[in-house]
Amino acid sequence: MKEILMLAAICVPLLGAFLIPIFGKAITKLRNALALIFVLTALLCSILLLPYAVADNDAVIHIYLPLGLSIGFHADALAVFMAITSTLVSSVIVLYSFGYIKDYPNQNEYYLMICLFIGAMMGLVYSSNLILLYMFWEITSFCSWRLIGFYRDRTALIRANKAFITTVLGALIMLIGFIGIYAETGTFDLSVIKGYTLPSWIVAVILVGILTKSATFPLHNWLPDAGVAPSPVTSLLHAAVLVKIGLYAYVRLFVVELNIDKVFETIVPVIAAVSALLSAGAALKATDIKRVIAYSTISQIAFILLGLSCGVEVGLAGGLLYILAHSIAKGGLFLCAGIVEHALHTKDMSKMGGLIKTMPVTAISCLFCALSVMGIPPFGGFFAKFLVIDEIVSAGQITLGIIFIIGAIMTVLYLARMFSLVFLGEEKAKAHEGTKVMLASVIILAVLSLFMGILINLPTELVKMVGGLQ
Amino acid sequence: MRALQYVSMLFVIIPLTALIVCSLIKRSRQNAAFYLLSAFAAAQVGLALYGLMLFNSLNISEYSFGFHITQAVADVFTLKPASLVMLLCIGLVSFTSLLVAYKTMPANKKLSYLRLLSALIIGMNGIVLVNDLFTMYLFIEIIGISSFVLISTTKTEEGLESAFIYLVMSSLASIMLLTGLAFIFMRTGSLKFEYLIAINNTSAEVSQNALTYLSYILVISGLLIKTGAVPFHSWLPDAHQSADTSVSVLLSGIVIKAAGVYCLMRVTDIFGNLYAIRLSLAILGVITIAVGAMFALHQNHFKRILAYSSVSQMGYMLLGISAGGILGFIGTMLHIFNHAVFKSTLFTNAAALHEEVHTLDIDKLGGLQKQMPITATTSLIAFLSTAGIPPLSGFWSKLLIIIALWKANFIGFAAAALVLSIFTAAYFLRLQMNVFWGQTPEHLQSIKEVKGTIRFAEIMLTIITIAVGLGFPFILLFLEASGII
Repeated sequence: MKEILMLAAICVPLLGAFLIPIFGKAITKLRNALALIFVLTALLCSILLLPYAVADNDAVIHIYLPLGLSIGFHADALAVFMAITSTLVSSVIVLYSFGYIKDYPNQNEYYLMICLFIGAMMGLVYSSNLILLYMFWEITSFCSWRLIGFYRDRTALIRANKAFITTVLGALIMLIGFIGIYAETGTFDLSVIKGYTLPSWIVAVILVGILTKSATFPLHNWLPDAGVAPSPVTSLLHAAVLVKIGLYAYVRLFVVELNIDKVFETIVPVIAAVSALLSAGAALKATDIKRVIAYSTISQIAFILLGLSCGVEVGLAGGLLYILAHSIAKGGLFLCAGIVEHALHTKDMSKMGGLIKTMPVTAISCLFCALSVMGIPPFGGFFAKFLVIDEIVSAGQITLGIIFIIGAIMTVLYLARMFSLVFLGEEKAKAHEGTKVMLASVIILAVLSLFMGILINLPTELVKMVGGLQ
Repeated sequence: MRALQYVSMLFVIIPLTALIVCSLIKRSRQNAAFYLLSAFAAAQVGLALYGLMLFNSLNISEYSFGFHITQAVADVFTLKPASLVMLLCIGLVSFTSLLVAYKTMPANKKLSYLRLLSALIIGMNGIVLVNDLFTMYLFIEIIGISSFVLISTTKTEEGLESAFIYLVMSSLASIMLLTGLAFIFMRTGSLKFEYLIAINNTSAEVSQNALTYLSYILVISGLLIKTGAVPFHSWLPDAHQSADTSVSVLLSGIVIKAAGVYCLMRVTDIFGNLYAIRLSLAILGVITIAVGAMFALHQNHFKRILAYSSVSQMGYMLLGISAGGILGFIGTMLHIFNHAVFKSTLFTNAAALHEEVHTLDIDKLGGLQKQMPITATTSLIAFLSTAGIPPLSGFWSKLLIIIALWKANFIGFAAAALVLSIFTAAYFLRLQMNVFWGQTPEHLQSIKEVKGTIRFAEIMLTIITIAVGLGFPFILLFLEASGII
């Protein structure tokens, strides 16, 4: 039963994606519904897997192949947690797309790529084999390439190519590390090599792949440029799924399955600190609304990475909690930006202002999500950020703690700046509220951000189990 | 055993029959010859697959045969699983080429194309079956001459020029090969593969003198010209660009591999495990990958990009050969097959574009995905496979080659080969962006998707690419069951 659930979570969106163009030719409503059903199936199956994973009765599929290759899937608590996080936000994004994307050409390809992307994400989190991990990793690169270039104008295509080249190059360098592991141990199977201590050079090359995918300085360059994509896509790529892949790989490989040298507990947080400050500075200067949120993503990813890499278990729990909080809140921010962009046909914040009067629902949802990202209690983001910084300070890394507090203050500044430029002040342009589906989507995410903070006990319990704490 | 005997003889008899029939037939009946040759090519694919099954069930590793009048003559041909894979590729690529030529070849050239193709198949089938160096050389010449005429069939100025370049390079290769063979014969007194392998394994000093090295260098350089490896690649892009697309399919799909890479594999067997040779092949391999890809990035002609991409992919095969060992061998064979499939797909796409849009200049194309969805999708899949994106077939062969390199302690080369595949992605991204993706210019709005045999070829080859990629675990299990790995 649990194995079937796991396979369904992977295969329904992954294979179902290819049905979408077939139905899309005939009935567009059915196609849209199917896309949502596929993603919801993945969400539902992952939720149903949760009791098994919590009870340490994991679903495992393992098929032997020669040469140390294998096909392996394993639904442990971490995998299920990531799967639920990403499909939860993805479902809302698919719902939002119904309103956002309905007037553009190439919708069949759009829904195909979205489903394939989420299916690949499911495959990635559940796979327990390095080659499978790499395979799904590349499928997500491919899908994001097609999705970023959705509008088909020259700029979009060039930036799509840039994102593809950067992430694939990172992945290839990471593959060198995987083959290095294979050469040392004779297998790609994570369950066989669990507990193996990685040589430092392998950690370094795998880190390159992780940092490109998660857009961390100095390999972050593709992410702000990818903002040319439609807003649901940026939300999916920059908030819910793509950038989280790198973080997931970090936890999966370097924390849960394999051991790494202690020195990385200093190196990675330092990289994260630089990344957090630089991108926060860039976010303060940017005038394009999606660029602000994109730089903010880079900065918040650094917070998560800090929590995951500091080597303290509570820090890890904080990092995981922040993955959830950030997916929801940042997803919501991108979707709100999408509504604004849809109404005004511009992304330039200097041409906006006073939108709170004409778009009250969007403004309030945006505020909720922004408060969560800023880390204002009682929103979800606060608890996560607090845990991370608290742990790094009590672990004795005072300097890092201070840097990250500065980063958090900058977050408050640039998000407040963005909010006031867009929604407050005098009214510079005429606007109208988004469609009902789009508003419903942002309301869901805003409310989730709030409730995640109020009911912080629930996700914290889950995360503690994931992190192996009792 | 009897079945195997018939199967193996058919590989020689079929193309000979085809050549005779095509030479005798009247021009008014040329379509009948077309169908006949297509049937023969398809039959070769079937026979090769059947042969592989026979090898598996009989549990033998090779089978020698000849056309004896008396038993006193030694067998001239040897059939191995590797030659069967090559025969499979030859059949498949010839079949694709025929499908493409059916549309693209002018009516007055069709018959000569068919005759030359039969001659070419004789040469290629021969080359993968021979068991001595001199017969190998003869078949290389047959391939060289028939491809020379095939390239020049367009009779345009640049077609003739590139055919001439090919002829010059090819004669240079012949001279080198023949001189090299003469030196080897002088030293050993035989050119049989078996004998040469045996003496190299027994006497170390024979393989250490200067003459031996000279002969090896000559033979390998000759074969590298045929392969189109850097720095001997100059003939290849010109030939591909100016030849008819059905001929480019043949050249890139199989000729450079049968006459180049496969022969290199055979001769490196003879040279044994000489580190110097393996190292130089590995260095050449990496240079070939890099230079081919760099040139491909700067071309504006669809077929020229594909030609340089072939050069670059040959580098991976050279690396596979240099890695040696069973993994390197399987990786190279698999890459030969995969490359035959995906590069034929891409050239078929080129034929489709040429038929419908009448230009292959990528600056004049654009946004054709809506107009030509099948061509766009098949080229996209072929591109992903070439760039080694899993789970498509190209990824697995590259992975095997890289693991083999790593095991042979060529770690730097393995890493370089991996990182350089980003350039493959880069030039194909550029191609996709300029041809299929993006917005459709006004004058291309009315373009229609290609129909008939070309469309069939595109779909067939793409299905093979996907099936081999997804079915790779079964290939591994099959190889393990037959005791190869």
